[in-house]
Amino acid sequence: MKKHKIIQILLLIIALSPSILMAQAVEKNSLSLNLKYFNDNNITHHLLVQAKSKIDGKFQTIPNITIQFYIGTEADKRNLLGKRVTNDRGEAIIEIPPTAKDAWLKSPNQNFLVVSTATKQFEAGQGDLAITKAKLKIDTAEGKMITAKMVALVDTIWKPIAAVDVIVGVKRLGGILNANETQTFPTDSATGGVIAEFKRDSIPGDQNGNITIIATVADNDKYGNLSSEMQVPWGKKSLYMTNFDHRTLFARRGHSPIWLELLAYTIVIAVWSIIIFLLFQIKKIKKLGFE
Amino acid sequence: MENLAENKIVLDLLPQKFGKQGQIWVVCLLAICAVGFYAYCRQLYYGLEVTALRDYASWGIYISNFVFFVAISLVGSLITAVLRLTDVHWSTPLTRIAEIIAVSAISFAGLIIIVDMGRPDRFYNLFTHGRLQSPIIWDVIVITTYLFISLLLLYFPLLPDLKIMIAFKDKNGKWLQKLYEFLGSFWKNKPEQFKITDKAINILSITIIPVAFAIHTVTSWLFATTYRPGWDSTNFGAYFISGAFLVGAGGVLIAMYVFRTHYKLEKYITDDHFDKMGKVVVLLALVYLYFNINEFLVPAFKMKKSEEEHLMGLFTGEFSPIFWFAISASMLIPILILVFKKGRKPKWSFFAGILVVVGSWFKRFLIVTPTLLHPFLPMHDVPKNYTTYIPTWEEWAIAGGSLAGALLVITFFARIFPIIPIHETIIETESHEKA
Amino acid sequence: MKTNENSRREFLATTLFAGAALAGCGGNPFTPDEVADVKPSGEMVKLLSVDGEIIEVDKAFLKPVPEMPSVPNSEARVGIPGKKFAMVIDLSRCKSVKKCQSACNHMHHIHPGQNWIKVYPMQESEKTAPYWQPTTCMHCDEPPCVKVCPVDATFKRKDGIVLIDSDRCVGCRFCMAACPYSSRVFNWEEPQIAKEIADKPYSCETSIPQKKGTVGKCDFCPDMVRQGGLPHCVSACPNGVFFFGDILEDSVTNGAETFRFSDLIKDKSGYRLMEDLGTKPSVYYLPPVNRNFPFENNEGEKK
Repeated sequence: MKKHKIIQILLLIIALSPSILMAQAVEKNSLSLNLKYFNDNNITHHLLVQAKSKIDGKFQTIPNITIQFYIGTEADKRNLLGKRVTNDRGEAIIEIPPTAKDAWLKSPNQNFLVVSTATKQFEAGQGDLAITKAKLKIDTAEGKMITAKMVALVDTIWKPIAAVDVIVGVKRLGGILNANETQTFPTDSATGGVIAEFKRDSIPGDQNGNITIIATVADNDKYGNLSSEMQVPWGKKSLYMTNFDHRTLFARRGHSPIWLELLAYTIVIAVWSIIIFLLFQIKKIKKLGFE
Repeated sequence: MENLAENKIVLDLLPQKFGKQGQIWVVCLLAICAVGFYAYCRQLYYGLEVTALRDYASWGIYISNFVFFVAISLVGSLITAVLRLTDVHWSTPLTRIAEIIAVSAISFAGLIIIVDMGRPDRFYNLFTHGRLQSPIIWDVIVITTYLFISLLLLYFPLLPDLKIMIAFKDKNGKWLQKLYEFLGSFWKNKPEQFKITDKAINILSITIIPVAFAIHTVTSWLFATTYRPGWDSTNFGAYFISGAFLVGAGGVLIAMYVFRTHYKLEKYITDDHFDKMGKVVVLLALVYLYFNINEFLVPAFKMKKSEEEHLMGLFTGEFSPIFWFAISASMLIPILILVFKKGRKPKWSFFAGILVVVGSWFKRFLIVTPTLLHPFLPMHDVPKNYTTYIPTWEEWAIAGGSLAGALLVITFFARIFPIIPIHETIIETESHEKA
Repeated sequence: MKTNENSRREFLATTLFAGAALAGCGGNPFTPDEVADVKPSGEMVKLLSVDGEIIEVDKAFLKPVPEMPSVPNSEARVGIPGKKFAMVIDLSRCKSVKKCQSACNHMHHIHPGQNWIKVYPMQESEKTAPYWQPTTCMHCDEPPCVKVCPVDATFKRKDGIVLIDSDRCVGCRFCMAACPYSSRVFNWEEPQIAKEIADKPYSCETSIPQKKGTVGKCDFCPDMVRQGGLPHCVSACPNGVFFFGDILEDSVTNGAETFRFSDLIKDKSGYRLMEDLGTKPSVYYLPPVNRNFPFENNEGEKK
């Protein structure tokens, strides 16, 4: 175990030494790590970090940065959730792993920390986040009403939370289509609930007319991002039509229109049978010549 | 007496070794080809970057050269097929000239289209993944077909001549003798054999006409199936074919003159041939002029916004010098020369032929480039050099190399085979004398 | 409980979030929609739930979807089933910031100087109003470029996207001549991209890496859509000019705002470019009325 650590430290020194040397030569850019917490449907939850840096006066997202995620306030090995590398958009995501169970259950308030070590181009970065455990729950009520209830953990009791802005709508590709003209609904002080009338009549659903309704809280200072979905049969049954397999001029190989194939093949066969006929005539002449 | 004439014809028309002039000519052509080949190697290595082609002018002189080759190749069908079927006999000495122009031009049309491809290494995709919906595939099919038919049309009338040449064993080199024997040792001048070749030539003459129309119509569709101003025309097929016949006939005028003076064939390619061919060129130029008027007057009368920029660019704008040069060189001046009897003398005809061919080459350039430089949405968000098209030396070298290559094929053909059909000439003279 | 009993049974049957269901968590996170789209990978991961339970979840159902390898060519040629993508470009919001362009160029490693997205200063005639018009590939429903491609290198998918297979393209450039929107660009030379990207296998859905001697164009970023994201231009635009969505869902979004597609087109008189050509584009434009910005063309000064 001890040996391991020594090797690790040695490796770290070796790994860092060129970058330390480089640091003197090149001015490095500082790296800001923006951390967000997401509660997905009160089941799984994840952290998202975006690495950004101001280069030439412009903020840019930075890919290929290795991020260490920690639960708690210290970058201690015991708190490590995992490591991820930022993608092309400078983002890295980690689902909360089972190893964090004890730390997670300890308190209603949680802290997260992300750290990146210095690289050739960037200084070491750090970002943290404090959240209070909360849940958002979507449901429906009589007369095509969508309800959602926001609760947060206070000591050991889930209590309704007032004045949190909730977006209620239909889940669509890349966004949420509001249930009606209202953009956001603040939660009620007594129940922590919101109620929204569903006015998106005849919105297309799946083949059975099902749509997914969703309630979300976005970028709340205290609770982070929460979302809750459920499926309701309020949509119009959709009929998926495609001309993908039709014979058209813009279809793929082997799917050209019948008239074109007939025309083309008739001409080609006619002309080439003449050519082949004539080649046989040459053979015939040859035979005559050698007789 | 008759025998003597026949012998003389044979001796006159046998292929001859290159003289000094011929050698210089061949060396020059080879040098141009070599430069073109070097330029193409550069293009293969660096990519189409070495050309002046860019996102707007994405087709350039390679494609106009391609259209030119396809156009000139149509002459094979005109001289051999159309005139043969209409029972015109004066054109007999010209048939082989026309056919070899057709074969070499269509072969180089195929080559130049490969040169234009960004990924020539994937040429086989056209066969393994070909889509019948694409006019390019139609073009590939139709050009291959035309090449085969033209080769057959070259080969069948050659058979009796091969027998004549095989007889001159000591005059031919070892290699040529082998080639002649390989191609025609089986020809014994049997009546049954003549019966078959006569039938075959007739079938070919009929078949080649629709195929020739198809190659150039399909080539015109490469443009006419798009929406672009200047290309979006229902007139395009006929416009291209009439232009093709004209440039082909012009090419024959040049070839007639060159072969006549160089091989001293005044008895076989007579002033009368120039006179008749000159008249044909006048007729074809008038037809092409008619289609040009159709092609430009009608849209110019309406002046649709999308067409306006393109048309004004041709009439008075940046392309106007080339445009008016092409119109006058390929049509107006040749008509003015050839319409007079004196103008149909060999020298003037030769000059008119050169004008027609050169003018037609630039005409093809005008069909391709100005349209691409006048897109529907204005040219924007591209580097400055994307908005113009001035071909680079590599493009000129490759285009020039391909033209030289085509001439080289014709030259070597004339070295190996009689450029004027010996057997047919003998038959013609005999029937003439009988009459 | 208003939840439909059937779907609940379906939910249990698929054993998605099996652990969570056992833990007795309420609500129904499952949408049959997505089951149609996403096939379970069979690879389960153990996670900690919000309630502190340890659950097993199929990797494919994680939200957001973890980055997956590009789909194979055969699948990329068919497209995402059950979708039909469309874009709406609101001309009244565009002031030619060109963030769309730079994001697109950056993410697709486009050759310097070339652009898949062009922002045109438009003015129909002398007395009509000038405006900025960003153009992407129109992803036409009857694409003239696909009609003319000799080798199936560019193709129309079930989801409406027109893509290019740069491993197939022979570089004949007929598609460029056929496209009336000038949306195609050509890799005239070896693309100037980092080696690690150039060495990647080409994917039709990411259009990366571009290859010498082949055609490139806007691809509607289907790789992003598969991950539940939006095309790069849509998320990059600071003014929310670009809206993207599934026309079968009748909705488009620019990330911040989501509209019902049919309402948006109806209320703002949306139109498509060059409708008379019959190409049936998938990109709709909202006219430049009630503009957020005055038209200022400083492009001449910059150069």
